[in-house]
Amino acid sequence: MMNEHTTKAFDVDLQELIRMVTEMGGLAEKQIADSVAALAKRDVAFAAEVVTLDAAIDALQRELEEKAVLTIARRQPMAVDLRQIVGTIRISGDLERIGDLAKNIAKRVAELNGDFYPQKLMRGVEHMAALVLAQLKEVLDGYAAHDVEKALSVWRGDTEVDALCTSLFRELLTYMMEDPRNITFCIHLMFCAKNIERMGDHATNIAETVYYVIEGRQINDQRPKGNTTVLASTEAEQ
Amino acid sequence: MNVAPSTTVPTVTHAPVDISSLAEKVGIRNLNFFYGESKALKSINLTLYRGKVTAFIGPSGCGKSTLLRILNRMYDLYPGQRAEGEVLFDGDNILDPRQDINLLRSRIGMVFQKPTPFPMSIYENIAFGVRLYDKLSKADLDNRVEMSLRRAAIWDEVKDKLNANGLSLSGGQQQRLCIARTVAVRPEVILFDEPCSALDPISTAKIEELIDELKADYTIAIVTHNMQQAARVSDFTAFMYLGELIEFDTTSKMFTSPSDSRTQDYITGRFG
Repeated sequence: MMNEHTTKAFDVDLQELIRMVTEMGGLAEKQIADSVAALAKRDVAFAAEVVTLDAAIDALQRELEEKAVLTIARRQPMAVDLRQIVGTIRISGDLERIGDLAKNIAKRVAELNGDFYPQKLMRGVEHMAALVLAQLKEVLDGYAAHDVEKALSVWRGDTEVDALCTSLFRELLTYMMEDPRNITFCIHLMFCAKNIERMGDHATNIAETVYYVIEGRQINDQRPKGNTTVLASTEAEQ
Repeated sequence: MNVAPSTTVPTVTHAPVDISSLAEKVGIRNLNFFYGESKALKSINLTLYRGKVTAFIGPSGCGKSTLLRILNRMYDLYPGQRAEGEVLFDGDNILDPRQDINLLRSRIGMVFQKPTPFPMSIYENIAFGVRLYDKLSKADLDNRVEMSLRRAAIWDEVKDKLNANGLSLSGGQQQRLCIARTVAVRPEVILFDEPCSALDPISTAKIEELIDELKADYTIAIVTHNMQQAARVSDFTAFMYLGELIEFDTTSKMFTSPSDSRTQDYITGRFG
């Protein structure tokens, strides 16, 4: 792919940074899947495990940032090397946020303790999560393989998640209007859905970073915007 | 391969900058250079913009110092060296044999890798060159010496010992004395040939600060092996390799996302 540096240790440093991002990515994917599984099964014990595991992502991010700063200080990277290192810092930030959002979903599992548990809504949330997970997988693959096309496809593909989120919000509103006793559950689920939608946004951010690392410039196109949750849900119901 | 800059070039923010607003001070056109039989420069096309700093980078022997030495006809000092093509200085071809070389060298000054003060007093180091071109009264000459030393950010360090020998100064001070000497004859272009390679980081920072200040009034070209230095001080960067100009662009573009893979390999330390 690319020639090696005359100073071999520099290559080792860069590879280690990329490896750490990949490791964080794997953990973030697992956290998304596990938090939503815990939510679907209302498995409070499993959810607590997910909450604890978030610390691993946080620790990894701190370690990565320290290493990135040290590498900049020691090697004064230029051009593609500089972009690569800036990329690892940015992506690790997005992955750390994804971890936080998954943790937040897991924390809500313990709060959902009523009889009301509509399967249809849960399928919607799971479907959203599956889409976001696929987006995150693809963008991390694109990062590892230096594949701009993969990054661009993720970048453009966020609309579907946004649309799902909007329709889920509408549905939740109808449940809440039907019976005020559903409100607690619905609000929690709404936050869960919003969290998943935010994860999708982070996947999009990562796609932008991958594009920047490879191409050396920002994506210029206007990204298709699908998220009109706030407007759509309030207006639709008034 | 010669890369002429397109009409718009990206800057730090990668917003296109219209280089037509910049004036050409020195225009190098199809320049070839020969050391006897061997061709050291291969059809170079390049522009030095007025009031800008242009850095030349590339591995040893790539021709960057050669190119700099052509700009004030230093090569004339050696037999068997010849240049073909044009170097337009405000539109005049400086390679023209009828060119008044002494006048040219007063308009295009040069600072070398090793500080080269004359073995005379600090005052005389400056005044010597000035007297060659200007007939000034004692008061005016004193004034010119002071202004030049101030310009080179060394006045405060030497004002009380102007009669001391120039060679008694430290390396960094000597180099700034040489810059003062260059500035004293009021050139339009200043060529720096690795001006900091023998200096400690503090002296280097002082010279870089100086280059930054000088570019308001002068057009500057600098050859450096220190990539970070090129990134710090220059507005434009030219990358040369084996006598060819590989890439020429704004410094911000060159050091964040160069177009040519050879430039990329060189500045990231992947060469060879």
